[in-house]
Amino acid sequence: MGVPSDGLPDARPLKIQFTGSGSEYFRIWIVNLLLSIVTLSLYHPWAKVRRLRYFYGNTLIDGHAFDFHGNPKKMLRGYLLVGALLICYSVAGRFSPGAAMAAVVIFAIVFPALLRASMQFRLANTSWRGLRFRFTGSLDGAYRAMLPLFVPTLLTALVALGVADPHVQPQLYLKCFFGIMLITLVLAPLVWWNFKRYQHDHYGLGQWHTKLTMGPGSMYGLTFKVFGVMLLSGLAVLVLAVILFVIAAATTGFDMRAMPGNQGPMAVVFGLLGLVFYFFALIVPVPYAMSRSQNLIWPNTRCDELRFDSDLRFGPLTGLTVKNWLLMVLTLGLYFPFASVAFYRMRVESITPQLAGDLDRLQAQAQAMGDASGDAAGDFFGIDIGL
Amino acid sequence: MNDPASAVPARAAPPSEVAAVYFDGRSARAHPVRLHVDGDQLVIAGEDVHRSEPLASLRWPERTRHGSRLLHLDDGASLQCHDSLEWDTWSAATAGRRDSIVVRVQQRWKWVMVSLAALVGLIVLGYGHLLPLAARGVVALMPATADETLGEAALSSIDGSGLMKPTTLSADQQKAVRTAFSQAVARLPAGDVPDYRLEFRQSTIGPNAFALPGGPIVLTDELYQRVGGDRDILVGVLGHELGHLRHRHGMRMLVQASVLSAAAGALYGDFSTLFAQIPVLLGQASYSRAFEHEADVDSVRLMKADGISPAVMARFFVKVRVPAPGEKAASAPPLPLPHLPIALASHPADQERIDFFEAAARER
Repeated sequence: MGVPSDGLPDARPLKIQFTGSGSEYFRIWIVNLLLSIVTLSLYHPWAKVRRLRYFYGNTLIDGHAFDFHGNPKKMLRGYLLVGALLICYSVAGRFSPGAAMAAVVIFAIVFPALLRASMQFRLANTSWRGLRFRFTGSLDGAYRAMLPLFVPTLLTALVALGVADPHVQPQLYLKCFFGIMLITLVLAPLVWWNFKRYQHDHYGLGQWHTKLTMGPGSMYGLTFKVFGVMLLSGLAVLVLAVILFVIAAATTGFDMRAMPGNQGPMAVVFGLLGLVFYFFALIVPVPYAMSRSQNLIWPNTRCDELRFDSDLRFGPLTGLTVKNWLLMVLTLGLYFPFASVAFYRMRVESITPQLAGDLDRLQAQAQAMGDASGDAAGDFFGIDIGL
Repeated sequence: MNDPASAVPARAAPPSEVAAVYFDGRSARAHPVRLHVDGDQLVIAGEDVHRSEPLASLRWPERTRHGSRLLHLDDGASLQCHDSLEWDTWSAATAGRRDSIVVRVQQRWKWVMVSLAALVGLIVLGYGHLLPLAARGVVALMPATADETLGEAALSSIDGSGLMKPTTLSADQQKAVRTAFSQAVARLPAGDVPDYRLEFRQSTIGPNAFALPGGPIVLTDELYQRVGGDRDILVGVLGHELGHLRHRHGMRMLVQASVLSAAAGALYGDFSTLFAQIPVLLGQASYSRAFEHEADVDSVRLMKADGISPAVMARFFVKVRVPAPGEKAASAPPLPLPHLPIALASHPADQERIDFFEAAARER
């Protein structure tokens, strides 16, 4: 099937299929968790390798599974290193603004190198059809991509450093904070695009080498839409809450001045309903942002012989999110493995790579393997590769 | 399965061969191969692949119900098999592959349930006992200067936030409180009194008193006025805050909450950071209630040393709830919600505390 406008004639869709099950991952997860707690989390790297091998081994592209090759012993070293760094970082901030400032600076210097190592490690240890993936982003590229992410924190820490000065009006600090927030808000999509570009410009497999083909403008469009949805859902909740309040006041005749707890059972029901609405307003924008950004970024990531279609629907993803939340709360968190499997399945199966070349011609290239020390950085900061 | 011959052997006898796909690690080309064991060698045979590997050098993929089997060879080549059942039977029967203990536990619901029970037991024990104990140990190792730095930083940020203003109490009123409290404290066993410093503030958050790590005890004008400057009640209230200082509750809470949020984040952060906040909030509330109780015990100790009946604190709880005549209602109108369930409250219910102080008053 030719799609000439995409520059990929005769592209053939490669089906992505996830064959794992929630109940099996539940068994793996429980045992991992028990061992991690018993060993005071030192088991974490082994647990991670087992989890990744389960998810990768069940992710088939065109009938062939992914695999993970990481060595847990090497990963343990990185885990300890980054863990210690993070503890220092979070503790320092509580003692004095000066220490917080120093921590942010050190962190900003170390973080880009760590994250790059993490990307290198993760990709170099992931294989498909016997070939290792690779991440080719450079070190100075990492700093260019990530240092802007720290600017708001750095500025805030700088302003906080001045709070100790009794001669300055508190009003001034407030104005500074608002200013920083405003600038951050305006520049955030650009900064985020810059970061995603660093990632998506540097994935490789064999001779393939991806490029991000979208500009920052699309990221601004995405951000506006996400903000719109956040505002709308917040507004909807407000309207519903007012309606609820009026109905409640009319039906139960409660008295605003009475002590809480003496309002009768109906007030409890209405109170809980209000909480449910509030909860929806908090979680609905998340699947929206997730589906729209996946559908924007992956189709804009391509190389000469490969492109990706992504069709992650907002409706089903929202349904899944709500269902996962309800079951998570009802089972006190035991539903987690089922939720992750369902979530992962929906996300990966919505992507369809379109291949125009011949897979048999794909040859391994020389590559950096990445330092296992960096691997943990991705874990701690929740920045994932999104494969 | 691309070779029709492989379909022939009956299930009864373990297969001596298994079909797999071989990748050499240099190209993405898939080579269909058949595997069998010859002596202590694994033989890989296909149209253009012929190699054998010593069985001892192989690290077999773990058995799972779903998913393919991938075997890595030392030189970067690999074998893939999608018929997991066939692979598992074959490798166990002819190649001597054995499941590790972890895999055997993972694959049996019975053992998974035992693990789950052990996990729940450990979490309950850790939440309620081990973590508070460990936090006590960690805080004992921290120098007192850590508390002071933290407390001073907190006080200056409270003062800078506009929540607190300089006190409107007269110098005489302040002096009376200081004298009463220091006289009471002087009656406690020596060496058992933490460093403290009384601070007076006018507040926008109503009647309150709180202790910050390292020494500052803040008493709000609103609380002073609400109890009408009652000496005995103020000693009881300040004794409670002194208890927080003596037990270094601020630092212990910091340690406990940090560990809790790190654990919850590791567990549920991938699902939702919002969800991961729930166990942290519940845990903090429960620790805080335990701390309040410890501080109440200290308050009773101080009052008894000073010859005050702990029953005055029962009066205090009533006074704090009802605004004094002429005083406008301090906070916003109460929300149309019932009392929070006890698991969510950060302080024990007033009635519980009143009962505690009254029981303490009856004891000698």
